[in-house]
Amino acid sequence: MSDFYIILTGTLVAIACGILGCFLILRKMAMVGDAISHAILPGIVMAFLWSGSRDSVTMLLGAGTLGVLTTIIIEFLHKKGQLQTDASIGVTFTWLFALGVILISAFTGQVDLDQECVLYGEIAYVPLDTIILSSGRDIGPKALYLIGSVLIFVILFVSIGFKQLEITSFDPEYAVALGISATLWNYLLMAFVSFTTVASFESVGAILVVAFLIAPAATAYLISKKLKTMILLTCLIGFISAILGYYLAVALNASIAGAMATVCGLIFAIVFTYIRIMSKKVTKVTNLESAKA
Amino acid sequence: MNRQVENPIIEIHDLSVAYERKPVLWDVDLSLPEGQLIGIIGPNGAGKSTLLKAIMGLLPLNSGYIQINGKPLEEMRHKISYVPQRESVDWDFPTSVYEVVMMGRYGQLGLFKRPKKADKDIVMDSLRKVGMEEFKDRQISQLSGGQQQRVFLARALAQQADIYFMDEPFAGVDAATEKAIIKLLGEMSAQNKTVIVVHHDLQSVAKYFDWIILLNMRLVASGPINEAFTPELLQETYGGKLTLLTEISDLIQKHRFPNRE
Repeated sequence: MSDFYIILTGTLVAIACGILGCFLILRKMAMVGDAISHAILPGIVMAFLWSGSRDSVTMLLGAGTLGVLTTIIIEFLHKKGQLQTDASIGVTFTWLFALGVILISAFTGQVDLDQECVLYGEIAYVPLDTIILSSGRDIGPKALYLIGSVLIFVILFVSIGFKQLEITSFDPEYAVALGISATLWNYLLMAFVSFTTVASFESVGAILVVAFLIAPAATAYLISKKLKTMILLTCLIGFISAILGYYLAVALNASIAGAMATVCGLIFAIVFTYIRIMSKKVTKVTNLESAKA
Repeated sequence: MNRQVENPIIEIHDLSVAYERKPVLWDVDLSLPEGQLIGIIGPNGAGKSTLLKAIMGLLPLNSGYIQINGKPLEEMRHKISYVPQRESVDWDFPTSVYEVVMMGRYGQLGLFKRPKKADKDIVMDSLRKVGMEEFKDRQISQLSGGQQQRVFLARALAQQADIYFMDEPFAGVDAATEKAIIKLLGEMSAQNKTVIVVHHDLQSVAKYFDWIILLNMRLVASGPINEAFTPELLQETYGGKLTLLTEISDLIQKHRFPNRE
């Protein structure tokens, strides 16, 4: 049963991150996802210090606030400060992450909240922390419910706002001319990236979150002709990565999150190579045809 | 010269726009008539695109205000359509010609409505008008420059607006597309639509437009083509750029003896 829970958690994280990752890639903001997943650390710590509990909702609020704040700072440095996007991302998230590290080491030494857990997570412990009803019935791991409900919100958000997310990703200026606020949808998307990241943190850690945000969506981007296809393929690739990653980790007796991220990378490499070979074949065929003619 | 009109479709008052405190448009004041083909002409960096974007509310204004049909922009948003420069988007975006044109309907559809049969008909009709019907399922990365421009035009048509803003629609397109666009502009103006075009090529100004705006940071002239398209005003617009001056004198001669087959 614990195999099943681990794979299911991995899959749900992969799908929630992947759906949002598609839009990040199309907006050329892949690194913003990376930045947010790190920069929310001080938000988590402050929410913890303020409320004194590791209650998920408080953490989500703290992280969400910091996520949107990160986006605002990056935009500000880029637009008003005349700094390149990549430089403003780099400055913002390293600084915020470091602030989080200081907060953790200075104030929360006594409790179970450490950088290690935030960075690597421990998906293997997911099945151990279950919800037990007052009747004594065990209804499954806590992490599963948390990421499951976040995934439902992500799916609702993307299916209701699909048109708006699509148009503000493709042509933000035109969207504004139509009366659709590109800024609003940008911040909504970033808030969702923050929520999803923090909900996935505890179980899978920052590194796997970043991998799931970008790698499956980047792979799907290579082979999709439509946005909807790209999103569905991303989910499929995430699912495959979670399964294969789990069994790879079992076979090697290694970190599960690490193995899942590795499989994401491998799938990308395979698809990329396949496309390169196919496009070479096509040019060869056309060359031959033109030579004949 | 600055000809003011009665019941203008667009009225601009004391408009100034600056990027990073550097003024791009300075104290522009003009009014435009309904149902005309209007060209915005001026050298590079004269603020032509900026003027277009400022009228549509895509840029913050430093001063001044704009009225569309006597009302503020926000109330008239649904009457306005936009054809941005082709280079402003990533043509590798995973989407088809049909889906891009459907985006023209998104303003009317709002958050919860999905495209209905009526919207689909409008999209197909817009594609037909620009001659892109048979390309409707093609991925946009596989279009030529001219085809990309036509897709943008179809998207703007799908909005079914009354006022159209176009940012250099003729830039880098093939002859067939240029002809198709001109024909379309003619049809639109016959339906009393107002079309405002940022235009680069002085050669074709007199042929295409009914009214022109000459711009070089400040407004040099705004008026009917036969009054505003004069050597003096063009010189004032383009300043002391010598190569251009000789070009302009050539043009004026052509304009005096129009070469109409």
